[in-house]
Amino acid sequence: MENGMEEFDRNVRGFVYDFAMQRGYPPKLAVTAVKFSVSVDEARDSFQRLADARILVLQRDSGEILMANPFSAVPTAFVVELDTYTCFANCIWDALGISAMVNKDSIIKTSCADCGKAIELRIVKNTVLGDPGLIHFAIPAKHWWEDIVFT
Amino acid sequence: MLFFQSEEHIQAWCSTWKMDRGAILSVEQGWRLAQAWYGPDRRETSWRRRTVEEAKALFAELGLTTPFWNLR
Repeated sequence: MENGMEEFDRNVRGFVYDFAMQRGYPPKLAVTAVKFSVSVDEARDSFQRLADARILVLQRDSGEILMANPFSAVPTAFVVELDTYTCFANCIWDALGISAMVNKDSIIKTSCADCGKAIELRIVKNTVLGDPGLIHFAIPAKHWWEDIVFT
Repeated sequence: MLFFQSEEHIQAWCSTWKMDRGAILSVEQGWRLAQAWYGPDRRETSWRRRTVEEAKALFAELGLTTPFWNLR
């Protein structure tokens, strides 16, 4: 990759995360293109390079962002409420990760993946409170990126 | 990575979906992992993905040292 392209991609990555941390969801291609005064195709190429580098996960057909971890662009079973917005995380690790990334207290609403019982966790001053439970990582770490959406 | 109300529910889920039992973390362990993983500011120019060795070291700091956490 050329240096100019690397710099562009770094700036796009910074924009994606700044946008997501302020709003709770990643930007669309069109918004990114306008931000950098480039074509949508150039923005799509940058998203793809960032996805190839495992920094973003894209929606298969559109090239829009699916995940700018820990944020999800689409509704999931992991709802995170902050003082300024409510957003979706990709998994329970990412739900905790949103609070860690924005450095704010949060309420996480999810459910037991087995029986569906409602679960609520609260991050208060760096401490996790709320319903008891456990986190299960089903896929060994070395296989996470073979199918990151399933993971 | 999913959340379950107890170990019995993890076992039931694994049986239902014919999945092997993976690694189980307490909520507190998960919070520490999330803080370590997502703490560095991804908006910063200097941010980059961890190398495999760096990720391995981070897992080790959190006590995640079983083969499940091997990255290669």
